[in-house]
Amino acid sequence: MTDPKQPSNHSPMDDLTQQMAHTPPPSSAAKAAARQAALKAFAEQSANHHQGFWARLRLTLNNRSQEGNAMQKKWIYSGALASLCVVGMTAVLVKTTQPELMVPVQSGVEPNAQATTEALAEAKAEVKQDASLAAELEAPSEVQMEPEVAMDMAAPQAIAAEPSKALPAKRLGTKELRQTAKSKAAEFAPSLMVRPAPQNILGDATTSGPVIQGEDEFTEFKTNPVTKVMDQPVSTFSIDVDTASYSFVRRQLNRGLMPQKDAVRLEEMVNYFDYQYPLPANKNEPFSTYVNVVESPWKPGNKLVHIGIKGYQIERNALPKSNLVFLLDVSGSMGQADKLPLVKQSMELLLSQLNPTDTVAIAVYAGAAGTVLPPTPVQDKQTIMQALNNLQAGGSTAGGEGIQLAYQLAEANYDKNAVNRVILATDGDFNVGIANQQELKGFIERKRDSGIYLSVLGFGQGNYHDNLMQSLAQNGNGVAAYIDTLSEAQKVLVHQATATLFTIAKDVKIQVEFNPATVAEYRLLGFETRMLEKQDFNNDKVDAGDIGAGHTVTAIYEITPVASENKLIDNPRYASNKPEQGDTVDNENANEYGFVKLRYKLPDEDNSKLISLPILIDQPQTDNKLQQEVNFSVAVAGFAQLLKGGTYTGNWQYDDVISLAQANKGEDEYGYRTEFIQLVRKAKMAKALP
Amino acid sequence: MQSDQPPPRRQLPALDAQIKAAQQGSATAFEAVFDACYDVLYRYAFQWAGNAADAEDIAQLAAIKLAKTLKQFKFESQFTTWLYRLVVTTAIDWARANRRHQGQEPAANSPEESVTHGGFSAVYLQQLINQVAQMGEGFKEAVILVLGEGFSHKEAAQVLKVKESTVSWRIHEVRKQLNQHSGGCHD
Repeated sequence: MTDPKQPSNHSPMDDLTQQMAHTPPPSSAAKAAARQAALKAFAEQSANHHQGFWARLRLTLNNRSQEGNAMQKKWIYSGALASLCVVGMTAVLVKTTQPELMVPVQSGVEPNAQATTEALAEAKAEVKQDASLAAELEAPSEVQMEPEVAMDMAAPQAIAAEPSKALPAKRLGTKELRQTAKSKAAEFAPSLMVRPAPQNILGDATTSGPVIQGEDEFTEFKTNPVTKVMDQPVSTFSIDVDTASYSFVRRQLNRGLMPQKDAVRLEEMVNYFDYQYPLPANKNEPFSTYVNVVESPWKPGNKLVHIGIKGYQIERNALPKSNLVFLLDVSGSMGQADKLPLVKQSMELLLSQLNPTDTVAIAVYAGAAGTVLPPTPVQDKQTIMQALNNLQAGGSTAGGEGIQLAYQLAEANYDKNAVNRVILATDGDFNVGIANQQELKGFIERKRDSGIYLSVLGFGQGNYHDNLMQSLAQNGNGVAAYIDTLSEAQKVLVHQATATLFTIAKDVKIQVEFNPATVAEYRLLGFETRMLEKQDFNNDKVDAGDIGAGHTVTAIYEITPVASENKLIDNPRYASNKPEQGDTVDNENANEYGFVKLRYKLPDEDNSKLISLPILIDQPQTDNKLQQEVNFSVAVAGFAQLLKGGTYTGNWQYDDVISLAQANKGEDEYGYRTEFIQLVRKAKMAKALP
Repeated sequence: MQSDQPPPRRQLPALDAQIKAAQQGSATAFEAVFDACYDVLYRYAFQWAGNAADAEDIAQLAAIKLAKTLKQFKFESQFTTWLYRLVVTTAIDWARANRRHQGQEPAANSPEESVTHGGFSAVYLQQLINQVAQMGEGFKEAVILVLGEGFSHKEAAQVLKVKESTVSWRIHEVRKQLNQHSGGCHD
């Protein structure tokens, strides 16, 4: 009575009738668009008419089978979402009984509830479809058979209706199109995404709900085996500066679960930490290289050859200009608190690290790809933040399209002297628009050669496609990091911003040749997904990992000296021509375990440079600081091996990891190492679980 | 229970000639059919979705479907019945394809719609419609056809392909529940 929106002097039923009688007429623009689409569809079906009855029958059968496939997929999806039902139902009930809560702004706020309601509605719809005989709302027969097809048809026709909207997207929903048509003036306005952003989306919504399990995808790989030096004295691999694996493992352990073995990539865990190796002396060499030999903690008698690389740090005022394109996934799967809201916060952090003259553009993709923000200088931070905050998740994921759009933006703003980089933030679920992953990788590779790099920030869990993320970043000369918390975003985008953004050396490969006279067996710890062929080392065309400003890279070999009793591989009984152990000790390299060669290219050069270092049996005593860093990295490597099952670590236990890490924690400015020790304790607990 | 005094039925003009011509392939005739039908499609869609943006989507999809399936209309039933059945199905398909629950998508992105004009408030309509939708499947459709479009229970039953008594029961339930809720709200 006081509320004009609730004329309640009638019964609600009367109100309903009255309200319905006052349905506003359609807008003439919408009607015109619909007319055009309908006429087009009519023309098409008339053209088919001449093929007669049989053609239609054939079409119908086709349509039916397509629909079946689509429904199968949806079944899986709704099944997965069904686990959210309990939480969702509660929310729905609350809404029903409190109509005043149903003011529109509110109703978009609860992603979980909404997702669940959708899932429920969908599940219901499918049940009905399946039992179509009993269906109450049966349509005219042909209509019933091709709802999916009709939906698909709508898109291209609608595009034809609005040809001036040249968003580079192949498949747009009618809704997006209609809205694009409405906002003719604002060509860059992401009308398809912009809604009042629910600020309180963060928090309990997802953390309290059950988490979808087991849909994360990782590349399977076998742990590098022990190799006999006499059979294969040379080992070649590409460096890797990704850290995604550690964050993912941490996330799992924090939830009391052991990570999948394929999620544990030893080199990424070791390289998560920023080791304080001494900086390179001069800038002619972009990084310094150290080789150390220490006792193997898990196998007395064995040695660990520790190769450490430290890139030089660029002074903040000497940083080159950055032209960044944020490519953000705003598909429906990104709605959870640890996804899009965290993406926004992360991007905000990154903005704080940029210089005022750097530029940022934002492209988003969901069912369609669109530009949210044209290249904008960072000094106009307000505009950038506003564009970010307006984003909301919804729709499917056409990642391939989005990447193309992002590169177009980067190319439009290309500056030869600047760092041109696309930063992709996604949960990796590219379920639409990318038919061929190889093709996408090829695309990124070609763009890399034209000077635009790609970094990948992974978010979320339950549907994380680590394998694709890794290979995209590798092909794009970028870092793949997994961001599970705001503090991880802080680490990647603030503390290590220069490393994430500025490449100082590319295609860094390491080749180690072991001396059969002194080393019987060796084993490379980690880098399984980065192994190269022997001949790739000197081939500058073969791509390899990159080092950012200030990055450290660590690689560790475990070797069994000839004199040791630890050999896992017996000597061959019949290969009598091979030199006996010790026979070659008199050669001039007898004091070496092996020889490390390292190739790299400067960022804008095509020819590689070579660094080489011997691995001396009697390494000169290193200073305590370096020794401490080496030991800590060994602790991490040991932990990774234990997580993977500890095939080579003998009786070594989590407690040993803790004591080794504890003793070598160092200053630990940001607390990462302390966190590591906590993580090992959690692994101890998690392991006890079934 | 046919005691509801239905508002005047929004009858389509006689279209048989145009439909037949369109079925023979005449685009002009189809355009005439479209012009006669679109407002009906849109009106239903609006009542069903509760906001103009979604209604426009649904109406356009229904129009496309009309173009593609008009040939199958065999004059065995009323064209109106057939047309409503088409838009009823389209709306449900649309909701499914959009993974969006009916009416949950707010009209918040078009605030002009919440402005009352001529006693009409999209927000209020949406609240009521959502309440109806929560009661179960088919309730919303029955209410729109009977209350919004002025169908008799029998005609609504034909569109929805259910028994007349089912429609009557649904309308009765809706009335009961809405009254209950309204009591709860104003106390």
